[in-house]
Amino acid sequence: MIENAWLAWLILLFPLGAFLVAGLLGRRLREGGGHVAVGAMAVSFVLSLYLFVQVLAQGGLGGTFPAQTVHGYIWIPSIGGNGVSGNDIEITILLDNLSSLMLVLVSFLCLLIFVYSLGYMHEEEGKPRYYAEVSLFATGMLGTVSADNFLQLLIFWEIMGLCSYLLIGFWYRKPEAASAAKKAFLVTRVGDVLFLAGVLVIWNVFHSFRFEEIVQKIPVLWGGAYTPQLALLIPLFLFGGAVGKSAQFPLHAWLPDAMEGPTTVSALIHAATMVKAGVYLTARSFIFLVPPAALPLEAPTVAILVIAVVGGFTAFFAGTMALTAYDIKRVLAFSTISQLAYMFLGLGAGAWLLTHGGETLGYTAALFHLFNHAFFKALLFLSAGSVIHAVHTNDMREMGGLARHLPITSKVMLVGSLALAGIVPFSGFFSKGEVLSATFEAAHEAPVFYLLYALGVLTALLTAFYTFRMWLMTFHGEYRGQGHPHESPAVMTAPLVVLAGFAVASGLLAYGMNGFGNLVFFGEPHAQMPLVGVPLAEYALEGLTLGVALLGIVLAWSVYATRRIPAERFTAAPSGAFLHRLLSRRYGIDDLYDAIGAKAVAGLARALDWFDRNVVDGVVNVVGRGGLAAAAGTDAFDRRVVDGAVNALSLETVRASWRLRQRQTGQVQTYAWMVVFGIVIVIVLVVGVSWFLRLQRGG
Amino acid sequence: MIPLAYELLLSALLFCIGLYGVLARRNGIIVLMSIEIILNASILNFVAFSSYSGNPSGQVFALLGIAVAAAEAAVGLAVFLSIYQTHGTIELDKVRFLKW
Repeated sequence: MIENAWLAWLILLFPLGAFLVAGLLGRRLREGGGHVAVGAMAVSFVLSLYLFVQVLAQGGLGGTFPAQTVHGYIWIPSIGGNGVSGNDIEITILLDNLSSLMLVLVSFLCLLIFVYSLGYMHEEEGKPRYYAEVSLFATGMLGTVSADNFLQLLIFWEIMGLCSYLLIGFWYRKPEAASAAKKAFLVTRVGDVLFLAGVLVIWNVFHSFRFEEIVQKIPVLWGGAYTPQLALLIPLFLFGGAVGKSAQFPLHAWLPDAMEGPTTVSALIHAATMVKAGVYLTARSFIFLVPPAALPLEAPTVAILVIAVVGGFTAFFAGTMALTAYDIKRVLAFSTISQLAYMFLGLGAGAWLLTHGGETLGYTAALFHLFNHAFFKALLFLSAGSVIHAVHTNDMREMGGLARHLPITSKVMLVGSLALAGIVPFSGFFSKGEVLSATFEAAHEAPVFYLLYALGVLTALLTAFYTFRMWLMTFHGEYRGQGHPHESPAVMTAPLVVLAGFAVASGLLAYGMNGFGNLVFFGEPHAQMPLVGVPLAEYALEGLTLGVALLGIVLAWSVYATRRIPAERFTAAPSGAFLHRLLSRRYGIDDLYDAIGAKAVAGLARALDWFDRNVVDGVVNVVGRGGLAAAAGTDAFDRRVVDGAVNALSLETVRASWRLRQRQTGQVQTYAWMVVFGIVIVIVLVVGVSWFLRLQRGG
Repeated sequence: MIPLAYELLLSALLFCIGLYGVLARRNGIIVLMSIEIILNASILNFVAFSSYSGNPSGQVFALLGIAVAAAEAAVGLAVFLSIYQTHGTIELDKVRFLKW
């Protein structure tokens, strides 16, 4: 049992309070309420840490820790229809290994990034709006990872989506930012609709949204309401939501454009937290993917393979697009997509392993990668923000040689790059290696995983290459821009240094914790695991990953630093130039989406226009001609007989109307007043008459 | 259970706020928003009476009303957009071309 578990509510309520304070009073506060947001986040972090330490003491370090729910209130009481009762929808916080770890992770990163924002956003307008929105976002993310049921998860998930939209469009006067925000919202919406469909199916089958109750009901309902088809459909729907939120192929197109927002937003939402929600959701959907081994249930193998294949493919696909990007933030955005895809690959492989022999390696590795990636990618984004702050451009072609001007930033970014590339002993090495090992393990039974493993290793090469391309183009060589860049203030570099520390240490944390698996499993305990799974036992696999990463760095060094391999020679060849164009245009997928939107909508409009002109107008014309002929006949009669009488009448009518139309001012609100007066008169009449009648009858 | 009277009072309050907005504000968008408030006041009545009488059809009407409100907002905004494009303003007292 956790003491003072009710404090979990305060973790959510403090950022929510900061949202209200910054939003309503931010204009009167210093820094637009930034200090309030930082303070609230600090409280959330301390409370999360307090709960996490208890969880760690009771279950995280071996032993079993059962999930604990912190009851809130009944939101929708059961109406008891359909012979079902006792299925109230309750707002409840779930505290288990996974959620308490995520709470600490999220609140810690939010805190660091909020502090950094104090420096980064210092000169911006609209700071109250910024701090209100990021605080609301923090509430959404903390709520997502602590939700006890799928409905609550969906609600907080949508809050995050809203905040992502608002913050991408923070500079809403810039057309690119406005359209990027719209794109992000619409593309993720596709996934969200699938997620919603999944949640509805879950309700229909289980009459409950709670993870715990669903787990209990799965064996009972199997074969009845819970058919194998649904067992396949539900995880696929949930994964659809994850694909949208985590920007996996084919819904990846929004994340690179989302870089139009402030860099802090990219670091917070589009690298460290929100995009991880998809991975978190997929991890939670393991209750569907991996039925308890003791029960004779079929695992939805197809869904598992879909997750793994989408992950493996997206990792490679996004990695290639990062090769040609010149915008420092877009390189990182593509890399985020690619690294998230690693996590999905790990989850897919993990689910496969769990259903074929019960090894926990893949699942643990994927969440370990989530944990590590959150630190080093936030670090990279914030470093990029520090660079952008100094040179006022995102284009790496106008940077170079900044290591001299930005000594701290360049060093911490090097740490982040090494972690991303997966060099021992930086954190990326451990988790990425474990994800790939898990994929290799899974391949013993399903050869398709060999292909995914190969893609994963190739991606590791690409990752190391583009990461160091980015670092070298930014910090090495001569400065190609204008002006004199300066190092950022301490309020920005301090979070960077802290994050750099974590980028080194977070990989080693698992060693001190009796295995990372203890921290992330929920439901059935999987304690006492060696380190991360296979503890570097597969030295050959780890060595291969490391070697490939080193090869990537050497390649980047020889292309961008010593220029021994000139990049121009590659793009000069026709096939190379074609490839470069293809990658720069992101495989044309964004163009395709735009074209589908434009062509389909415009085509429909043209078809309707044609229908209007030819069919509707034709009918109208025929009717009109008939009317014309009839009119000619009556015309003669009309002129002689009727007109005389009418003319006199009409003359009077014209005079009367002239007076009346003075009243028609064209002011709609005048009309509205008249309507209101009319209604009041009618009400008075009705009430008065009925009162009068009653008076007569009664009196 | 919230007493019915409270919900009706809230609804009446919303209606009056909306009515005030429609009559007194000059910005067309705000008038449109006020109309939405009026609509929502009536939807609230539906829900309140439905919950009071235990008859769910009021909630169905509320959903229908919300859908209609969404359509209405879309049409209204489109009208204001095209007024803005042709006349360069959405101040209602400047939009007076619908007269003799």
